[in-house]
Amino acid sequence: MDKQQRRHRILMVSDFFYPNFGGVESHIYYLSQCLLKLGHKVVVMTHAYGQRSGVRYMTGGLKVYYVPWRALIMQNTLPTFYFTLPIVRTILVRERISVVHGHQAFSTLCHEALMHARTMGYKTVFTDHSLYGFADVGSIHMNKVLQFTLADIDQAICVSHTSKENTVLRSGIPPEKVFVVPNAVDTAMFTPSPNRLSCDEIVIVVISRLVYRKGADLLVEVIPEVCRLFPNVRFIVGGDGPKRVRLEEMREKYSLQDRVEMLGAVQHAHVRSVLISGHIFLNSSLTEAFCIAILEAASCGLLTVSTRVGGVPEVLPDDMIVLAEPAPSDMVRAVKKAIDMLPYIDPHAMHLRMKSLYSWHDVARRTEIVYDHALHSSNKNLLERLPRYLRCGAWAGKLFCLVMLVNFLLWRFLELWQPVESIEEVPDITFPLQNDELMHDSAEVL
Amino acid sequence: METGANETAHRPKWKKVAYGGMQPGYADNYTDDSFLEEMVMNANVVKRDLLKVMQDSVSISQYLCIIALVICVWTYTLSLVIDESSLLKLDIGLLALGFLVLVLTTSPLSWELLFKYFLNISFFISGLYILAPIYHTLTRSISSDSIWALTVSLLLVHLFLHDYSGSNISTSASPNNLKLANNISLNASIVASVLVASRLPSRLHVFAIMLFSLQVFLFAPLITSCIRRYSLSLHFWFSFALMGVTLSVMYQLHCMFFVLLLALLVFVSVVCPYWLIRIQEYKFEINGPWDEAKLCFDISE
Repeated sequence: MDKQQRRHRILMVSDFFYPNFGGVESHIYYLSQCLLKLGHKVVVMTHAYGQRSGVRYMTGGLKVYYVPWRALIMQNTLPTFYFTLPIVRTILVRERISVVHGHQAFSTLCHEALMHARTMGYKTVFTDHSLYGFADVGSIHMNKVLQFTLADIDQAICVSHTSKENTVLRSGIPPEKVFVVPNAVDTAMFTPSPNRLSCDEIVIVVISRLVYRKGADLLVEVIPEVCRLFPNVRFIVGGDGPKRVRLEEMREKYSLQDRVEMLGAVQHAHVRSVLISGHIFLNSSLTEAFCIAILEAASCGLLTVSTRVGGVPEVLPDDMIVLAEPAPSDMVRAVKKAIDMLPYIDPHAMHLRMKSLYSWHDVARRTEIVYDHALHSSNKNLLERLPRYLRCGAWAGKLFCLVMLVNFLLWRFLELWQPVESIEEVPDITFPLQNDELMHDSAEVL
Repeated sequence: METGANETAHRPKWKKVAYGGMQPGYADNYTDDSFLEEMVMNANVVKRDLLKVMQDSVSISQYLCIIALVICVWTYTLSLVIDESSLLKLDIGLLALGFLVLVLTTSPLSWELLFKYFLNISFFISGLYILAPIYHTLTRSISSDSIWALTVSLLLVHLFLHDYSGSNISTSASPNNLKLANNISLNASIVASVLVASRLPSRLHVFAIMLFSLQVFLFAPLITSCIRRYSLSLHFWFSFALMGVTLSVMYQLHCMFFVLLLALLVFVSVVCPYWLIRIQEYKFEINGPWDEAKLCFDISE
């Protein structure tokens, strides 16, 4: 009986979901799967991807609404403020949702859904997956949007302590409302290679999108220097992006064609097979809230060399990672240190350690606590909540209030036009409990 | 919350790490004393001194005066107060003066360089002389009102986009942008001089006024920056003398222009620096470990 009462009915909202691939997407997927296993009901809402529109079911009966809303730029829908209200309301009523959980600060769908959910009095939780500065115009705008969404949120989740500091500063919400629940890694999917690689030739693996923010320019400086210092080192670079040309130019310039292998874009399903062919994983990001790639590499038993940026220092214990300042000379020093450490690294021991350090089930249990907190937060009516928006700034505060008021009126109108009673509720189908294996084939089931 | 208050004495120290699950004794929304410890506020803010800012604003006032003088010469020429021969004498005088300043202020000036300059200028002058008839009739079909309106707006564009920092100081922030603004500014001034020249009665007039305008727009920034580098006090004396001369010339031209220029000079060299110092206290900059790392090398090969 108690179990039945504690059961949450969660709607995950984000612009970013499968078939798109990245940290946020896999976070939502794994979290949903583990929450389903804990006996909660989880529904995902995202925008349509190409032909994929409508309702789909994924592994374990995870229901996904692909809302027929076209992506405008970088997989984001056009911000329309109010046009998503009817469909969000219908989904919330149909699925008898109790908690709305939005993901990622630059997902417009997430912000809109959270706004509607607040208007309709649902409990809301928001997860911030990335870091933002305070200086440029883009960040200032994003921070204002975040302030609007977080002004009236019940609980927020960040993926690292650095990310929590950043979110609190950007949005000005009290730090007690912000929980730190990190990402995790599916250790069963990222296992080390069964037979140990020889150390005669050391392979350094890089897998990242080759863009400025991921430090591709740093790689251009570091790779030739490492190749010069260590004749037995070989690089495998997986990933594609605008900076790929620069890396290829570097390869030509230092004639390293036989020592630097460029794989191009690597499918997520093939990441493990690339990782286990190497000894050291090199991450050169310039900004990173958490970095799941490091976890995947460590789970495959690779020693990680990374730049000391954002939340990266929190991710692994000091003896599993070598940190460096984001400067070529220090990166080369760190690679040297990692090569010296290599004989003492046992990939299988590292894998077992990762198993004890990270698990999605742990993440789900901790998220469950956040939902409990959200459900126990006090119910406030619109007039009590408006002052929270008013505090967001001299002009912005009034604007935010206006947006919320109009949204409230639209919602009341919808209540008259299409009463809740007229919306059919979806019966709950309990899927047979799956074994752990099913969790690992992610998007292919569709 | 699961954390009981009674176990505070025994619980292990909180660590700023994300691995290993929930830390025993601490809920996930626990905020340690070290929260925001690494935040740095206003790390890169430069403290500005009012006097220094006022001194720096002198170069802006100086350039404004130069432009005002050019406008005076244009007006007098258009009303035929200055005839072409005195205008040519003025051109030659300015050219000689410019060369003199260049020779005096630039210490390692070889004959070779001087000869190169000379050659360039003679090409430039002969080219201008050949093109003068074209300029003379270029805008015959356009009404004078449009010409004056266009000239004024082009001059405003020129003043707005002009690089007052001195041509040889390269700023690290977006040099490409700066270059573009500079080019637009120079082009606007040249078009303005062509427009003015096209309203003059004879070809020699056109040639003389074009030569004068181009000399000022192309070489005045060079000469003033030379003076400034040579000696700062000379720069100030030169600027103040120029301001005095300009104001007196303006006064003879029109009383309203005089008042406008005076107000502009006071605004630029007194009000604006004071304003800048005042708004400095609103500056609020936050840095911390979440900032995107800056690369310490140049990637724009």
